[in-house]
Amino acid sequence: MERCAPSRFVLWTAAWAAVLAFGVYSSYLCLARGLNQTNMDNRFAFGLWIFVDLSIIALGAGAFFTGFLLYILKWRDLKAVINSAVVIGFICYSGAVTALLIDVGQPLRAWFTFWHPNTHSMLTEVTFCISCYLLVLALEYIPLVLKNRRLRQHASVVVFGFELHKVMAVMAGVGTFLSFFHQGSLGGLYGVLRGHPFAFREGFGIWPTTFFLFILSAMAVGPSFLILVTAAVQAISGRKLVKAGVFDTLAKTSGVLLSVYVLAKAVDTLVWLNSTSRAAGFLPWEYYTWKPFGEWILFAELALCGFLPAALLVSRRARSHRPVLLVAAALACCGVILNRFVLTIQTLALPTLPFDEFLTYWPSWQETGTFLGVIAYGVLVYSFSFRFLNLFPQERELKVAPEEVEYVSGR
Amino acid sequence: MFPGVDGFHWTVQHVVFLSLFFCVLATIGATVIVAWVRAARQQNPESVRWHSEFEDLPARDRKCRQVLRGDMKARTCPNGFDCGQCHEFRPAADKAMGSTYGLVYPENRLYHRGHTWVEPQADGTALVGLDDFARRVMGVPESVELPAVGTRLTRNGAAWKVRQGGTVVRILAPLDGEVVAVGDAGSEWVLRVKAEKLETTHLLRGAEVSGWLRDELERLQILLTPAGATPTLADGGVLVEDLHRALPEANWDAVLSELTLQA
Repeated sequence: MERCAPSRFVLWTAAWAAVLAFGVYSSYLCLARGLNQTNMDNRFAFGLWIFVDLSIIALGAGAFFTGFLLYILKWRDLKAVINSAVVIGFICYSGAVTALLIDVGQPLRAWFTFWHPNTHSMLTEVTFCISCYLLVLALEYIPLVLKNRRLRQHASVVVFGFELHKVMAVMAGVGTFLSFFHQGSLGGLYGVLRGHPFAFREGFGIWPTTFFLFILSAMAVGPSFLILVTAAVQAISGRKLVKAGVFDTLAKTSGVLLSVYVLAKAVDTLVWLNSTSRAAGFLPWEYYTWKPFGEWILFAELALCGFLPAALLVSRRARSHRPVLLVAAALACCGVILNRFVLTIQTLALPTLPFDEFLTYWPSWQETGTFLGVIAYGVLVYSFSFRFLNLFPQERELKVAPEEVEYVSGR
Repeated sequence: MFPGVDGFHWTVQHVVFLSLFFCVLATIGATVIVAWVRAARQQNPESVRWHSEFEDLPARDRKCRQVLRGDMKARTCPNGFDCGQCHEFRPAADKAMGSTYGLVYPENRLYHRGHTWVEPQADGTALVGLDDFARRVMGVPESVELPAVGTRLTRNGAAWKVRQGGTVVRILAPLDGEVVAVGDAGSEWVLRVKAEKLETTHLLRGAEVSGWLRDELERLQILLTPAGATPTLADGGVLVEDLHRALPEANWDAVLSELTLQA
């Protein structure tokens, strides 16, 4: 397919490459001089990076969930966006792993978590699952690369890509299994965080309610993030990439799951307010006296960025208007990001013991630079993928036949 | 992690956790190996390539030939244009070719959707050439890479390659068979092919050709429309000779690949 002139593409990539270079430099400083380059410390151990990791892992869930819907449940509409979803997932998970490698301070010892696994820790399972899932995403990415026109000149490349594509259902199943567990286990951490009653949750057996809420929120927000990225790429490239029906399917799915999530989250919050927090000796409204984290944050998370986008996405009339759809998708994503913020930054900021103080945290420029570097990496990978690979199969059809004509399949 | 490391001892959690982990890794590894082995054992890569490329064609490019001749309203081909395998296929009742829009399409020839023609000969061989539409669009090629005599062609695989403006275009073979002769620069035909059994059910003829050409001309105009411009469909003209030279600024890599049914 046609793409913008090479000069424009070079300008675009040069700008993001500059940001990436700044990110690489910031990361180098953190690795060479230690984590004292950041504003994290023993007390405030979760900072910008962990918050970003949790957020992008949730947003990248569109990859596994779209794969599950397409290859397992056979929702063929989603064939139009599965390639893009795989690339987004690959970017999100590889970006998260990169940020984690910087965050651990000594990445050369990262293999310890595999060689000396602490089977009592949820994070061990997260590490194993994310590593395996990154491998699955890379294997799902390969057939896309092999379909590049230059590479397709070689029949053996086409054949291998074809055979790999035939087993995508297996990859989708494995990816769903892995994602289910690592999304959940990231939330499972809050079942053991008794020292932070603001975030501590009880649940069923070893699984706190946040285990299920993390899975549900990731499934809900994945399609919304896919909608936003697709719309952004359409706007930037000036091309129609998918039919309107695809947006509708994604929006409806996101809306239904978001509704279930908001309901579950509301129930969980009520239980926490009335039971869990009180049992730990804290009146729940005490937490919201610490500014700037007032009651507004709870309202924003549940109502503004939870209930409202769910209602808009579920309503056919509302989601049929593109601006409303995009606003709803953006609010849904913001809601999950806010949830991850609350469970990391806000959780650590709040005092728990009588001699604790309310802690403030601002990321250092090195932390911010590393974060921006991850964003730039993502934009660059997606840009190259969009330019040289066939991310949107419907693009050809929409260029040749701009009116949406439904052809009856002979199958 | 393993015995021999100080302080390590197996627990039920270790066994369960590591079993699950290695099962997942084994599943991933086995899947990739199976795909690799199947690819290595593939005897007919050109056939696989065609199936792969056919799946990537947009629905509009997979219109059933019965739609082209007006017998059906809307249907996409699910069989890689292999009408011999199709339970829905009915031969055309009307054999006469309609308008060919100023292009030369002899009625004694059969036409492949990749813009090649087949003309069965009395001696059991068949002549194969590039149709008038493709010839006018491509113009005089920079170079042509023909198969050697004795080469086995696979239907919908690469028959010969044309280089034009830096783009290498694979011209798809309209039938299975062995190349027994190649045409010279002056001849209209490019290959003479001998097939054990000349299978031509999948090739277009008669009224289907007219409907197909109308679609192809429309598709060509849309492909040549710059991105962002409103598509216009010119009416009443004849396709010029050497369109490639007439419109050097077009994205010929994409246009020629699309017209010859490649991704």
